[in-house]
Amino acid sequence: MTAASFSLSRDDRPILIAAAFIVVILVAGTVYTFARFGSAPLLSPAYLLQQLQIGAFLGIVSAGMMIVILIAQIDLSVPWTLAAAAMMATSVGGPLAIPVGLGVGVLVGLVNGVGVAYLRVPSMIFTLGVNAVMRGLMVAHTGGYAPQTGATDLMRMLAGDRTLGIPNALFVWAAVSVLVVVILQRMSLGRYIYAIGNKEAAAYLAGVNTRRVTVVCFVLCGLAAALAGVLLAGYSTKAYQGMGDAYLLPSIAAVVIGGTNILGGRGRYLGTLIGVVLIVLLNSVLSIMEMPEAGRQVIYGLVIIFMLLVYGRGERVTS
Amino acid sequence: MPVADPTQSAFLELAGISKRYAGVRALEGVDFACERGKIHAVLGENGAGKSTLIKIIAGVVQPDSGRMRLAGSEVSFATPSAANAAGVVCIFQELSLMPDLSVADNISIASPPRRFGLIDAKAQRRRAEELLSEIGCEDVNPLRRVRDLPLSRRQVVEIAKALGKRPQLLILDEATSALTSADVEKVYAMLARLKAAGVAILYISHRMHEVEALADRASVFRNGRHIETFDKGRRSTADIIQLMIGRDIAAQYPPKPARNAAKPVLALENLCWERQLDRISLSIGAGEIVGLGGLDGQGQKSLLLALFGVLRGVTGRLTVADREVRPGSPAAAKSVGIALVPEDRKTEGLMLPMSIADNLAIASLDALSTGPFIDTGRERTAIQRAIARLQIKLDAASDAVSTLSGGNQQKVVLAKWLMTDPRIILLNDPTRGIDVGTKQELYRLMRELADQGAAILFYSTDYDELIGCCDRVVIMYDGRIVRELEGDDLTETNIVASSLNVDTDTAAGAAHA
Repeated sequence: MTAASFSLSRDDRPILIAAAFIVVILVAGTVYTFARFGSAPLLSPAYLLQQLQIGAFLGIVSAGMMIVILIAQIDLSVPWTLAAAAMMATSVGGPLAIPVGLGVGVLVGLVNGVGVAYLRVPSMIFTLGVNAVMRGLMVAHTGGYAPQTGATDLMRMLAGDRTLGIPNALFVWAAVSVLVVVILQRMSLGRYIYAIGNKEAAAYLAGVNTRRVTVVCFVLCGLAAALAGVLLAGYSTKAYQGMGDAYLLPSIAAVVIGGTNILGGRGRYLGTLIGVVLIVLLNSVLSIMEMPEAGRQVIYGLVIIFMLLVYGRGERVTS
Repeated sequence: MPVADPTQSAFLELAGISKRYAGVRALEGVDFACERGKIHAVLGENGAGKSTLIKIIAGVVQPDSGRMRLAGSEVSFATPSAANAAGVVCIFQELSLMPDLSVADNISIASPPRRFGLIDAKAQRRRAEELLSEIGCEDVNPLRRVRDLPLSRRQVVEIAKALGKRPQLLILDEATSALTSADVEKVYAMLARLKAAGVAILYISHRMHEVEALADRASVFRNGRHIETFDKGRRSTADIIQLMIGRDIAAQYPPKPARNAAKPVLALENLCWERQLDRISLSIGAGEIVGLGGLDGQGQKSLLLALFGVLRGVTGRLTVADREVRPGSPAAAKSVGIALVPEDRKTEGLMLPMSIADNLAIASLDALSTGPFIDTGRERTAIQRAIARLQIKLDAASDAVSTLSGGNQQKVVLAKWLMTDPRIILLNDPTRGIDVGTKQELYRLMRELADQGAAILFYSTDYDELIGCCDRVVIMYDGRIVRELEGDDLTETNIVASSLNVDTDTAAGAAHA
């Protein structure tokens, strides 16, 4: 990965800061648990692996979200793409469960991509609309109740089981990560993604098929959300209403905390990985501290704002 | 006016001004002075330090050392508005207008006239009208959105906005580079009036004839140093160019080879688009450089965009190397061997924050890839070849392209397209705001490409350039080609006359009458 060719550029700064903040969270959490319970669960590999297993779902969603943010768009249809994929996968069942679930993601991505690239509707509005449509369709499909169908064995195996003591979900996350890094660094598609995010007009006038690239990006994002949905259904053994709601904001936050420019064109995947880990650990430390939900939300929001303020300072000098 | 004390005569004085950017010297110990009622040209290649000088005077950046005196008292401007308050107003090369606001809004953006604390739209409009008529451009409607104006008119608005601040010292940084000839005349007249009123004017331009026509005095900068200041007429153009680049330049333009009838590479027949292109027929042979002339906004840019597949609803026949094509996008145009150097390199030609290497390779990634994967070895070789071929001056190809000077940026745009091996090269005013040295390199390169068999269609607002570079020039007027000039007919008089769509004989006759 890129960490090998490490040089301190402006893209690396946020990644270093986020990594440092992860250390701060771990230290603060450990000091707290040590003082309170006399133990340090945060530093035990078993606990960390369990947290990362939960983080894998967010990680996969964030990988797709990052691609869309890099071309200066956004995908707000993630929550119900995720839920719809999970619901369709469980209701179809059998060997077709996973392909159908992923197919839902591709389809939603295609619709999003065509709406943004060809119909020229701003992605913030279009994907928000698609999210509402998907939600309506799923309520119609399930009658508004939790679906009675369960996840297939393969889904449970991929999301819940372990191989050599490591959760399988982590392997899936790793595979997705490798794929994204290859796309962004080794493929012309990746170069086009950065080019479009920096200046769509210039990319277009350089003969880049910007509309096709945009559609591909939304398809990848839909696919990632669907994959996360299928896995999450496997992890909880079934699909449920609103299962994707907790993933929209954190996935955007992870991408941005990892140093990807919310306006597109700049950012490294390593940053997104670190952003996901940061958010997962922050959540888990807050829950260990038995912080009430209200306080958790406040701290969570403040951390995101604080991190972006820190990054923003470096930026102004260069502009 | 009372006779000025010679020690008091300099309105603005700089002493020992130095400025570095991240270790790179931009200005070094510069002493400089300019007077009221004089037009003072500042000359130098891009990167010579002119822009930094101006930014320091206008309060955009602060010098590392040195002193600045305005009207005899020491000043240091922390912000551009502080400079404005002292009567120092600058019109920058990059336009600073808000495209979605009206002309009137833009002109009064810093201090709109108020009534009861609210913006007085009527007064604002009147003010815009007055200022525009001061320049002689009453035909610009103050209520139009700036976005809808052609580049030339936007520059006029920019000038009106500066005038609205009632400058004592007016700085124009390439402020006429996009003006059409007609607007240039008006701006010249306005500058003459300001000069008569005792305003000090600092003027940066890359067009030598403009400097000759306007300036009372000129200062040459090179590599961040002030080389020489001299009064009008004391130095020949050749001398000045010599001072600017510090090396000999044999000929302004490369010689044109004798033309023999070449096979047409690009042929268009009855090309029409909305109301901007009207039955355009033209054919360009291999090895030919054809100029597009005429006043700004007569359809030249639309023609280039139509050929490049950007415009929807173009009718007519377009053949490339005897095959009829209908490019529906730049990607399609690229695949038949067409390249376009667009009008605005900063927004259309380059992804500024991306590296020089990424910008160079972006148009030829398909050819540099094996399947969907980029072949990094081949990519690096191709990039190095392009950099060497165009002699792009850079530290490292991984630097952001925004760190290059304007001329080198334009070379990157051109190099990007040369990497695709185009048969047809469309150039949209590629030398705008570029220093003399780079311009000449571009002229040579164009001729070299033509000699290798490329067909070049070259739009320029600089008539000199069209005459010097092109084998043939077609003049557009109101979306039509009204005249084709070549050989001895290719003269400035003929271009100007045809641009105004008047008969050359009539023009000559009128001059005699």
